[in-house]
Amino acid sequence: MSLTRFLPVPSDRMGILWSLLNIEDSVIVEYGPAGTTHFSMSLFGELGIEQENRLFTTHLREDDVVMGDTSRLEKALVEVDNNFHPSVIFVSASSCSAVIGTDLRGVCTMIKPKVNARLVAFEQGGFRGDYSAGIRETYRLLAEQIAESGVPKRAGTYNIIGASVGSYRCKADMLETERLMREAFGMEPHARLCLETDLERIRTMGGAEINLVMRGEALDAARMLESKCGTPYVCGAPYGYAGTLAWLESVGKTLGREPAPALVGELKKRAAEAMQYKMYGRMLRRDRPQALLYGDCETVRGLGEFLESIGITPARRISIHNLSTLETPPEGIEYLPTERDRMELLRGMQRTLILVDDTSRRLADSSNTYMRISTPVIDGAQVATHMPVMGPRGADMLMEYVEAYFNTLK
Amino acid sequence: MDGNELLSRLKRLSEIDDPRKDIHSLTYAQFPGTHCPLMGAAMAVRGIDGAVMMIIGTDECSYYTKHMTIYSDDWGGLDGRCLSVTIDQHDITFGCVKKVEAAFAELMAERRPEAVFLVTTCVPEIIGDDFDAAADALSEQYGVPVMAVHTEHFKCENHMPGVERTITACFGLMQPCEQDGSVNVLGQRMGRFEDTELSRVLESAGVRIGARLPSGCTLAEIHRASAAKVNIVVNDIGLPLAKKMKQRFGTPYVFFDKFVEPRHIAEAYENLFAFLERPLPMELADLRAEAEKAAESGKAALRGVSFIYGNTPFRAFEACAFMASLGMEPQLVQCHGIGEADAEDVRQILTHADPYITQSANISPMQYIYDVLRPQLYLGHEYPMRLRKKGIAQVHTDMGGGMLGYEVTGYFVKQLAAAAEEGKNIRKGGAMQ
Repeated sequence: MSLTRFLPVPSDRMGILWSLLNIEDSVIVEYGPAGTTHFSMSLFGELGIEQENRLFTTHLREDDVVMGDTSRLEKALVEVDNNFHPSVIFVSASSCSAVIGTDLRGVCTMIKPKVNARLVAFEQGGFRGDYSAGIRETYRLLAEQIAESGVPKRAGTYNIIGASVGSYRCKADMLETERLMREAFGMEPHARLCLETDLERIRTMGGAEINLVMRGEALDAARMLESKCGTPYVCGAPYGYAGTLAWLESVGKTLGREPAPALVGELKKRAAEAMQYKMYGRMLRRDRPQALLYGDCETVRGLGEFLESIGITPARRISIHNLSTLETPPEGIEYLPTERDRMELLRGMQRTLILVDDTSRRLADSSNTYMRISTPVIDGAQVATHMPVMGPRGADMLMEYVEAYFNTLK
Repeated sequence: MDGNELLSRLKRLSEIDDPRKDIHSLTYAQFPGTHCPLMGAAMAVRGIDGAVMMIIGTDECSYYTKHMTIYSDDWGGLDGRCLSVTIDQHDITFGCVKKVEAAFAELMAERRPEAVFLVTTCVPEIIGDDFDAAADALSEQYGVPVMAVHTEHFKCENHMPGVERTITACFGLMQPCEQDGSVNVLGQRMGRFEDTELSRVLESAGVRIGARLPSGCTLAEIHRASAAKVNIVVNDIGLPLAKKMKQRFGTPYVFFDKFVEPRHIAEAYENLFAFLERPLPMELADLRAEAEKAAESGKAALRGVSFIYGNTPFRAFEACAFMASLGMEPQLVQCHGIGEADAEDVRQILTHADPYITQSANISPMQYIYDVLRPQLYLGHEYPMRLRKKGIAQVHTDMGGGMLGYEVTGYFVKQLAAAAEEGKNIRKGGAMQ
């Protein structure tokens, strides 16, 4: 990496913070310069995250950096514990404390007798990878340190692991997933890691019948919960019509139940209708339909498979985040290490369906057809929570762009 | 949280001997905390047309700063003048100068900017890369002015040093010129100088405006800044540059901050025109009379109105002293510190009241203070609904950031009076509906 002209990929620390801020009854204390906390407010506000009485900074002075004095953090932890009585205080490192090597876990252990809240330390200061690494660590630590074993089973419930508010249409996607689960199996969600959930739900998530692992970063957590609580899990997210059906069948297989026939029938019908685009593609004289996808790896995988199934070849499938976080990255998905690589790729695209973020759209010329599937959102805002990228509703939306794309081809 | 207990940790204004030690934060855990000097540097570079800002820092520092600039025409939007070199674990171990050099080569190949500010952040300052030397070397290699600006937040309390260091770094861009009778404006952070009363007065008097740092100027104007007859320092952040220019070019400077007290404004005008060796414009007498009338008329509405001072674009203690002179009651003042220049205002305040003093930018615990002090007004940024629920009216003064001269007095009194009236309605329950 060298020159960065646009927004960099958010760091591990940023992924951790936007995940933890979605957990009610907890407080985050950042051990670092106050300016970073203040600066973060606009991004978190844009992501719809409340920060008041949830996020605090200790600030750092030169003495703390030079001498390694952590008394400022210790006092802040005792104070937050006394003033807000949270069940858990997440103690977050900053780039400064990570570089000087502050032993946050050690501080938590030392201060533990003086506080009632459980202390969970996140020592990532922004140098252990991008947000993908951060959310993976968050899911893992929540499963390891907050979720309890021996919780009574609650029939008809499931957990979602892998929601990330940094992802485009995260909330809409979770609502679509929940709608599918309700219609297919009559089940209701319990904990959502990490979207609008709370500590009690995470503590008792071992009572759910199944864990839905929506992205590769959540796999560690799911395995931990399987071994700790005996909860089975299913990997992958529902994209496209046939993809959603396959996903529901996979969930049903694990649950030992069949998805509701009406929903299955509807998905089969829509999948068959979408297949007509294969034929439209073959009828073109000049062009061959192709797509470029750039976004979260799981989104790119799911939408890429859907497009391929309807005759639009994904020319390139690019993950916005580093793939090294994933145990087995899906085949055919690349990660471009420099911004220049992405600029050159997009500037070379013509008459292509580009499913990307707003920055990438601006790099591509107007012969392409654009649909946003990834953050950052620069042109406009995310408001609707009924317009997912996942599920049949997401596929419906994509089909509108596919239709518009075919209108540009000859 | 117990508001009384929080207040018991604070000292009153009369008890402050050493501001660095005696002005305490309400709590150890703060929210939202102060802005960082990196943001200050960005505020300054925004106003220097043609200059590029290259941040050397973490993904996070770069992200937030870029995020702040992408909707700004001054910056050029998403593809604009705010760029970065993001550092990783490898750079922490082995240094990041080589990476910056490579990025700089890309920058020069693509854009060839007229000047570049290399803005370092906390981490490169901790690892100790020498970016002053790197800036000199890059400047020599590419024949473009490159200035290093250091913005580590752990060595300062807020964003102002970032603005100050960036405009002070512009000294390196200045070339010796023959004096042309113009004035430079140093330290205006908000608004456009052209829109101020001071600008109109100078224009009427036939005084040309030279460089305006950082409120919007070109690099060519900075190159010629030494041609000025006088530097007008409109905020403390302009002082280091003014002092350097005085030493190197002999340019005198006058201090003309965003004063609210008409007497202070009059002194600033008199001082400025004395240095300009021009008669005091006649219109100033009318403007002063208008400001004094506004202050006088405000007394009736504001006498006995209690307030907590959070932040305004004005000098904290000068504004509080002025409000106290109107009969208002300062209960608590949030500030970054108390300097020598504040001494007279502090004395003035103490003749009326002895408010609590605390560090600014920590609004989270303030809600418990409201329950104890029950102020009628809050000056500054806060959650408006939270204030209303506590029966407090918010005084908005951001527009004052773009004002200089007697216009500040009238505007400030008007905002105070409007808020006092709103406060009455809130307490009656009217505005809550």
